[in-house]
Amino acid sequence: MREAFSDTLLALAKADPNVLLLTGDHGYALFDAFRRECPKQYINAGIAEQNMVGMAAGLARSGFKPIVYGLAAFIPVRVLEQIKLDVAHDQLPVIFIGDGAGFVYSHLGTSHQSTEDIACTRAIPNLSVYSPADAHELTTCMKSAYQSNSAVYIRMGKSDRNSVHSSPIAPTIGDLLVIKQSRNSTLAFIATGSLSSTALALANTQYPNASVWSAPFIKPINTKQVIEICKQHQKIVTFEEHSVLGGLGSTIAEISSEHNPSQIFRIGIEDRFSTHCGSYNYLLKEHGLDEGAIVQKIDRFVTQK
Amino acid sequence: MAYAGSTVHIGCAFSIIEILAVLYRQYLRYPENNPLGQARDYLVLSKGHGVMAQYACMREMGWLPEEAFTQYFSDGSDLKGLSDSRVPGLEVTSGSLGHGFSVGVGLALGAQLRNTDQKTYVIVGDGEINEGPIWEGALFAAHHQLKNFMVIVDENGYQAMGKTNDILDLGSIQAKFESFGFEAITVDGHDEDAFSEAIKQLQISSSSAPKAIIAKTIKGKGVSFMEHDNVWHYTRLSEDAYQKALQEVAGESK
Repeated sequence: MREAFSDTLLALAKADPNVLLLTGDHGYALFDAFRRECPKQYINAGIAEQNMVGMAAGLARSGFKPIVYGLAAFIPVRVLEQIKLDVAHDQLPVIFIGDGAGFVYSHLGTSHQSTEDIACTRAIPNLSVYSPADAHELTTCMKSAYQSNSAVYIRMGKSDRNSVHSSPIAPTIGDLLVIKQSRNSTLAFIATGSLSSTALALANTQYPNASVWSAPFIKPINTKQVIEICKQHQKIVTFEEHSVLGGLGSTIAEISSEHNPSQIFRIGIEDRFSTHCGSYNYLLKEHGLDEGAIVQKIDRFVTQK
Repeated sequence: MAYAGSTVHIGCAFSIIEILAVLYRQYLRYPENNPLGQARDYLVLSKGHGVMAQYACMREMGWLPEEAFTQYFSDGSDLKGLSDSRVPGLEVTSGSLGHGFSVGVGLALGAQLRNTDQKTYVIVGDGEINEGPIWEGALFAAHHQLKNFMVIVDENGYQAMGKTNDILDLGSIQAKFESFGFEAITVDGHDEDAFSEAIKQLQISSSSAPKAIIAKTIKGKGVSFMEHDNVWHYTRLSEDAYQKALQEVAGESK
């Protein structure tokens, strides 16, 4: 996924000299090719994220298309007010890349873990929120964000999970992408980001009656499609490496409760910070997001009336 | 306007009247008098609570109708109590302090990347420079030699709750900006000739450093009972105070 990011970024910059990459002194090796091939479009703004986002607004105002890169803990969360006032309020075309979302920095602790970024950004008007699961989704998210000519936050989480698509995709913005269709399915899995591959793996191995959708677009989301999924399934499980408050699960539950009340179980991070450090898989386990724990939760949900 | 809208922040607007008058009359270039023209200079009011002073200038530019003033703050009206970028002529949505400076740095960087001679003027309050992003932006502007970027600090000596020196002592603002790599001048912000001369001096300088003018001003300038009295950061105009203030301002301009 990171290679797809680097490649797409470079392709966009080469095709449009108004594309500028701003980084808050992060992304060391990620931008080697970019710095080599588009040095004039590369700006290291220093460890000064608030100023970086304000500057991006000024650059966008004067006709540039800034892509602002940082770790998700900082871009967007640290600079939320700059995104709201300087960028989103004026509908400026700035793309924010929040890298390492969720528990990617599992050893570093809370400062580098980002589990509230979707909730924070979703509530800002004029700001779209994308959350790709694999290289194909990342590529289409980058291209869609660029073409939309508006403010977009792209959340990049754990990048080395299994692909959920076997070939490039070209969805309409907002679409949920079916990655497993079961005949007469009674159970719907809707997942985003790193947990799309988990949802797919579980459906393939343990839940033959489940169909699976990956949701690269959290906002806007295709409401009609969500309602249709709610109508066609008795139970719905959402998956995300993000707080259960305000993320994908909340989005689906909001739509469902208004249009087609359904039984929805939200799998995600409960309302708490990490306690310990360890490998990425350890942290998933600490938060009950390893496959074993997820299966237990789903089984309980499926059997309850 | 302040009376019609029964608004606060009167003193905050009075301290920058002369600064704005000089900028609009002598320096800001708006081709075809278009506040949104692509080749315009940029005036960024980072201390958004001084916006009434800018409205007055925009009225003189012909960008705002008289009703906008008599109907200030009426239901459904466009001119807010803080700078809002959706009003043509206002470049930023400020009010939350420490935002406009960075947006201005971005505008100046954009002009530099495009190799235009567009100037960016950013007005900040002395209280406002408590905010961290100001100094992040100052580092960036100096490092990237944004010579067409000019910050004007409205040093009226007060912030919302009292004197700046009592709250977070700023020391020498000029020395601070100089140490960040700016070329800086301190001047009387109510002396239009001296202020204009300061801008001129900085603009003809051969230095590639960004520029700073520290404008010594008086909060509430022009109305004796408002001057140096921080209560006019918050107080609304009674009819009596309004008439007295009008007399004083009219007397001054004769």
